[in-house]
Amino acid sequence: MIDARDLRKEYGDFVAVEGSTFSVDQGEVFGVIGPNGAGKTTTLKMLSGLLEPTGGEVSVAGYDVTDTEMRQQLGFLPEASPLYEEMTPKSYLRFFADLYDVPESVATERMHDTLDELELEHRDRKLGDMSKGMKRKVAIARSLINDPDVLLYDEPASGLDPLTTNYVIEFTQQLAEEGKTIVFSAHNLYHVETICDRVAIMNEGRIVARGDLDELQDEYGQREYHVYTTVEVPDAVQENGHWRRVVDSMDGVDSVREAATERGGGVLDIRTEESSLEEVFLNVAESETPGTRYVEDA
Amino acid sequence: MNLRKLLRIARWEVTKNAGGVDKRTIAIMGLAVVAMVAVAAVAVAGGASGLDSGLYRVGIEESSPYYAPAADDPAFLVREPSTLAVARGNQELRFEGTELRNRPVTQKEKAALGEFRSSVDSYNSRQMASEDNQTAAYPVAVSLVYLEQRGVTDTVQTSDRQSSSDGSSGSASGDGSTDGSGSNGSDRTGGSTGATPTGSDGGTASGGLSGLGAGLTGGAASGTPSDIQPPFPFESLVLAFLFIVPMNFVIQAYGSTMLSERLNRRGELLLVSPVSRFDIIAGKTVPYLLGAMGVITAITLGLRLSGLTAGGGPVAILAVMPLALLFLSATFCGAMFARSFKELTFVTVTVTVSLTSYAFVPAIFTDVTPIALISPLTIVVRDLQGQAISLTDFAFSTTPPTLTALVLFGLGAGLYREEDMFTQRALPLKMLDALSGRIKSKWSALKLSALLLPFVFVAELAAVALLFALGEVSIPLVLVAVVVIEEIAKSIHLYAGFASGRYRRSLRAAVAVGALSGLGFFLAEKFVAIIQLVQLDDINTGEAAFITGTPPDGVSPLLVTLLLLAPLALHAVTAMVSSLGARRNRRSYAVAVLLAMGIHFAYNYTVVVTLVQ
Repeated sequence: MIDARDLRKEYGDFVAVEGSTFSVDQGEVFGVIGPNGAGKTTTLKMLSGLLEPTGGEVSVAGYDVTDTEMRQQLGFLPEASPLYEEMTPKSYLRFFADLYDVPESVATERMHDTLDELELEHRDRKLGDMSKGMKRKVAIARSLINDPDVLLYDEPASGLDPLTTNYVIEFTQQLAEEGKTIVFSAHNLYHVETICDRVAIMNEGRIVARGDLDELQDEYGQREYHVYTTVEVPDAVQENGHWRRVVDSMDGVDSVREAATERGGGVLDIRTEESSLEEVFLNVAESETPGTRYVEDA
Repeated sequence: MNLRKLLRIARWEVTKNAGGVDKRTIAIMGLAVVAMVAVAAVAVAGGASGLDSGLYRVGIEESSPYYAPAADDPAFLVREPSTLAVARGNQELRFEGTELRNRPVTQKEKAALGEFRSSVDSYNSRQMASEDNQTAAYPVAVSLVYLEQRGVTDTVQTSDRQSSSDGSSGSASGDGSTDGSGSNGSDRTGGSTGATPTGSDGGTASGGLSGLGAGLTGGAASGTPSDIQPPFPFESLVLAFLFIVPMNFVIQAYGSTMLSERLNRRGELLLVSPVSRFDIIAGKTVPYLLGAMGVITAITLGLRLSGLTAGGGPVAILAVMPLALLFLSATFCGAMFARSFKELTFVTVTVTVSLTSYAFVPAIFTDVTPIALISPLTIVVRDLQGQAISLTDFAFSTTPPTLTALVLFGLGAGLYREEDMFTQRALPLKMLDALSGRIKSKWSALKLSALLLPFVFVAELAAVALLFALGEVSIPLVLVAVVVIEEIAKSIHLYAGFASGRYRRSLRAAVAVGALSGLGFFLAEKFVAIIQLVQLDDINTGEAAFITGTPPDGVSPLLVTLLLLAPLALHAVTAMVSSLGARRNRRSYAVAVLLAMGIHFAYNYTVVVTLVQ
């Protein structure tokens, strides 16, 4: 559904994005994470056609991103919610429905359905008089008014209170379940971990790691095995009447099992604990030579 | 461009902004307009007498011949003559019969005497004008005909043509009867004979505006020789003012809406919707253009239907459209460059002042000088006055602003994109962006030089309009202005191309784009030949600006051909010089452009001195 090859964006001498290559399948939720200035927003804007790439190629839904037809298939939610504040949610959504050639009856039904799902009331109140959370809901509704196949959501929960944030994330998850292809950028890695199938980690304009969470954890994270034994084994700590030894491989687990058996005991339980995406991200970000370690080929 | 989507954006632009103004604001604005009209009507109805009403106190007996003039002038309070009142400062003047009995000492007394003399003169003139036998009132009749200012050498030659063309060549009737042919009906004939200007013979306005102008400026249809004053183009001033004022209001709203698209990134979502930026720009511009044209149409119809003007129709309305486009395009371009509402205020003030000067000032002199034709408002004024407008005059006045407006919209559209709309880049960088965005290949140098010619044309016309009155010194000043304008126009896009990396910084590329720029400018410059059609080059200053002089007799055809091609060589060489500097850095570019200007000035000066007859 989305195919980006060797994307590059320069602002004068500054290279904002360099050599970004990735693809997103239909119905997939693709997360883009990275520190501030990593090039996430620039990448999303190139996908939306807002920014013209300095180099490389990108297509969305089979269209070149410079093709206005492509935008018919696209729902873009920028990090801020730039709305026409003198308009009401209804007039605002009708305006964009009009631009997207959505028939009036369809637009009205879709608008009310979406606003109902988003639990947005006061639909005749001016947008300028609404709270940030309400405005964000209107912005999300606008991104869906044309029933797009592809959604580009840049920090959809940025600056919202925890309650609204959870609501927005759950709603995005619901959209993913409905089969929308979503490219999702966020600072909150828990959100990305919650809803994304695959993730690209960007740093200094480059994709430094990419893959699904398991692959990233294998490559950059740590997997620990907590082996609980009935007898004391070397390097184990006592815990609730048992002994617990932490190892980082299956070989380690085997050696603990052997040690416990030799001492007349056995293994009571084995629990696996994996690095969070945040820890993976920190590992990648702290890596001294980022930029070349791809988990998978495009 | 998608017309359907353009109109949708236009409709929503109106709806959106209509929602931003509440009913109370509309009511207050309506009241303010009504109040302004009422005040203006009262002021016009009351004339200029209100301010000094009862200012001077004069003691005159009813039997004095001065009683009536003083009583007729509201500036005077007529009282019984009293020595005591004069001594106490309660009377400025005291008459016995026709004798002034107190010597004016104070400033107010002196002013009162001056005003009294004027009142008596005016009273006498009115008495004379009301005489049934005008021959007795004015035994000698002189017909004054004011001519348009032409070149010094052909003023006399053109007088006949001019007189017949405007229909004002009436002569005083020998028997002193008032056939009205001595006037063209406007205040232009302020001192001519004929008691009642009919205005119908020349087709010019005889309506309320000209009458009002005469009243306010002291012009009169008849009077003594001391009443003769040069005509003040009051009618042109009022008409031009009426048509220029609405533009200034429209661009305030338009600039604000365009800039608000940029602030807080509100326009970002339109850019990502399935419409082109040209649809967006046009859609957001159309309501303001239609609004301006609607107001202009209403004014035109109002003037025509109320009988204030003799003419006014589609020609006047169409002539305003390029001006409306020019105002809007300059504002749009400015709004794209401005980084805040503070800067936008500066932009709109600059646009207002410069474009008002360009359009308004020449139009005041509609009946005075052909240079007035550089403004479309001159066409408007002429049409309102009922004068015939030739197609060439119309084209001459409206083509430059139309082309300039299109170029400005094009430049602004170059910035209507994510990279430029929502960033705080410095203005020079944005200007370079606007130009470099149009560069696709070396041939763009040719295209851009040609496209910038409307700017050059309008700027040079404005320079001529500003400098032509300075006499001999105006010619070198115009030459300098022309050189600066043309060399910058030919080279600024070359610098933008090199600075943005669109052109390679090689010697070969610099020479190539320089030559193409010169060629483009040369080709486009040939459009300036249109000025021949209206003989603007009759004026020496115009000739200096556009170098349209014909070679002297006896010059060989080969030399003539060389002279025709010489401008091509000039433009190519100077553009190449600038290009060679531009390929290095800004400082080199500045030095190179100065050098190019020097070459250009030397060429122009030589041509003007040796060829202009």
